[in-house]
Amino acid sequence: MFTQENLILQRPEPSGNGGVQFLYEVKGYGILAINPPMEEISQLHWEVDVIKFTDVDKYKFEVCHTTELANKTLVFYNDKTFNEFLLKAFDYFKELDKLEKML
Amino acid sequence: MSDSKLYIKEMPADWVPGRDKQKVVSPEYMFHEAPREQVFITGSEAAREAIRRSNVDIAISYPITPQSETMQQAGYLYDEGYIGEYYRAEEEIGTMSAIGGSSRAGIRSLTATSGPGLMRGMEAISSWPGARTPLVLLNMCRVINTPLAIQPDNIEMSFLINSGLIMLHGENQQDFYDYTMAAFMISEQVDVTLPVSVSVDGFFVTHARGNVKMQADDLKLPPRDGWRSAVPAMDNENPPARISRDAPIQKSNFISYHMHASWQQEVFAATERAKKYINNYLGGIVEIINPDADVMLIASGAAVSQSREAVRQSSELGIKVGLIKVKAIRPFPKAELREACKNVKQILVPEFNQLGWLHKEVCSNLFGFTDAQIAPGPRVYGGMTMPTEMILEWLEEGRKDKPWFFQDPF
Amino acid sequence: MAHDNLTPSPGYLEWLPIEYQDLVNLGPYNREKKPKVTDMGKFKEIIEEHPMCAGCAMTLFIRLAMIAFPNPEHTIIVGTAGCGRLAISQASIPFIYGNYGDTNSVASGLKRGLDQKYPNQPKDVVVMAGDGGLIDIGFQGLMHSWFRQERFTTIMLDNEVYGNTGGQESGMTAQGQVLKMAPRGKVTGKIDAMSLAKVAGVDYIARIAPTNPSRVARTIRRAVMIAREVGPTYIQAYTSCNIEYAIPTGDVMQDAFDMEKERYGFEEVISDKAKAYLDEIEKKPAKKAKK
Repeated sequence: MFTQENLILQRPEPSGNGGVQFLYEVKGYGILAINPPMEEISQLHWEVDVIKFTDVDKYKFEVCHTTELANKTLVFYNDKTFNEFLLKAFDYFKELDKLEKML
Repeated sequence: MSDSKLYIKEMPADWVPGRDKQKVVSPEYMFHEAPREQVFITGSEAAREAIRRSNVDIAISYPITPQSETMQQAGYLYDEGYIGEYYRAEEEIGTMSAIGGSSRAGIRSLTATSGPGLMRGMEAISSWPGARTPLVLLNMCRVINTPLAIQPDNIEMSFLINSGLIMLHGENQQDFYDYTMAAFMISEQVDVTLPVSVSVDGFFVTHARGNVKMQADDLKLPPRDGWRSAVPAMDNENPPARISRDAPIQKSNFISYHMHASWQQEVFAATERAKKYINNYLGGIVEIINPDADVMLIASGAAVSQSREAVRQSSELGIKVGLIKVKAIRPFPKAELREACKNVKQILVPEFNQLGWLHKEVCSNLFGFTDAQIAPGPRVYGGMTMPTEMILEWLEEGRKDKPWFFQDPF
Repeated sequence: MAHDNLTPSPGYLEWLPIEYQDLVNLGPYNREKKPKVTDMGKFKEIIEEHPMCAGCAMTLFIRLAMIAFPNPEHTIIVGTAGCGRLAISQASIPFIYGNYGDTNSVASGLKRGLDQKYPNQPKDVVVMAGDGGLIDIGFQGLMHSWFRQERFTTIMLDNEVYGNTGGQESGMTAQGQVLKMAPRGKVTGKIDAMSLAKVAGVDYIARIAPTNPSRVARTIRRAVMIAREVGPTYIQAYTSCNIEYAIPTGDVMQDAFDMEKERYGFEEVISDKAKAYLDEIEKKPAKKAKK
């Protein structure tokens, strides 16, 4: 399994393509992750975006490809690397929050 | 081909089959009390784990996309000794006939198919209920019509509706896991003694990962008792069952209609009797969200997932929308729906098929029991996706007071 | 249904109908005094009453087969639509009447199921179906059950016509025969099911006409025993349809003799493994077949 910490919402992927969408939030930033259905089971993978929330309570956010974490949609082929990324991202968001407050 | 390529595995003499190491627990303990651990797995894997804990005696397979993955997994379970017997049959008529044969031997029997395979096996499948053969058919829905496609579309379920089978329709991986295990127990109740189909929408459930809370894998359900049955096992250990013996049944082309009529009545009465077990093992035949809402979504299968999100997003807009998840198509939760919809103003029925078979079921069962307008949709089919937005748009159209909106275009 | 199960409590038997007494005292379930086909008519058979046409050779064959079953109390018959099932379903042996042409698939699942459920009690599964049921609509299941080496007996009641549906030609009808659906005479020949069985590796194959009751009994017994211990077995029995082929009732047996001479002679094909097994059980008739 992967961490459920900071997980604020899991829901059926709203565009209808299937799979469960996971929304993590730390200090206004977050991670949007989906493991979509694949025709071949062996192709299953995580698609992960870094996001910036515009309204956390209503789960409104924008894709954020300008952090040092990722400048594009990331792909992870197993839960372990996905989880490692999540933990790394959480720390990064906390650091980012501190830096932003300094400005 | 050289002999070195020949590989037929012989199990060592001291081999202990996996299921011999499991502990039998009652269905009540298994379904309601046993501690569970959450994993994130595909629907096919969820089915495998359900089968592992279901004490299955025989699984007969035949490949078809998207089902194949599951029965391959069943093959590995056989190799590990969690299933007593396993083989790949000649095609689906053969598969469905053979599984009917193994069930008559009094052992717990499982098979699975998808769309066109279901159609091919249909003659045999539709004879299972009359033969009173408890067994479980997993059905991973897929397009059946020409032009050929492998996309999810559950129109095939409409062909099962009046066959006499008990039909469960799972929403997600968790349902596929829970319903499969429960299906064996429901199927083998004396006052039921019927085959149970567990349908899920292909790919969305089978080939996608979801959260599944599972019991420990060293537990298994009690074995089947083939004599504890409305029509006992045809094993020649008890007098031949009525279906093979009594004067008017199956003996003549011209004196059997009276018997046949009462036999059919009994089959459909037995599906109704299954309701109490469905209620017990699945925690209710329906799940209702926001029961006091004026607008209700009624859905089964993957359409429930999309509806859940529509309900959530509506609440963000300050609009209360209700949702009734229909877990069983046969027996149909007639009374439950009538009760839940008596004060409802509008009903929408999101579906993954062109026909709208659930819409027809809802209309015919609610007729005279509600004043609600019932919209024929939204529907997607042929593998189209159903975005949450689509359901939200339909809900919005419904609020505009346009009578034609509620008329079935077909 | 073992003999024990049929036998009522002491003192009660004499109050039961005479037919039932005969079944207990003289019937084929009585292991001590198992009747022979030559005693036919002197004991209560597993099947006596039936709605078959007068003079039906198929009925004779079915009755002989049921007398010959080595363990009728542990036998299950699988059939399909056709004349045969009208008689077979009257027997005190469980009869699975499935869908059109599904016999050998049903029997595959059934036999594997029974083997699993009763590892120490052999259960004999016998498919008894017509030529159309097996070679036409049931062809795929038939062939695959042989290829898979399923351990049960297939008996084709070959009357060379769809009798029950009113006389249409089947795959087993001989070339040139005029029947319904073959208004100009059947264009192609009789399907060589014997050769198909050979190619598929069936362990015991026999073609037979019901001219010699003892030989019918021996063939049935061999087929059932070999299916139990070795592999698939197949009996193709000529069981004429005196209605559709307009054979006068009194001439049915003569027809069988003529047919046997002409193109339905007795033939037995036995695999080496089956031969070895037969040697073992037939040389020591005093001993019961090994469990």
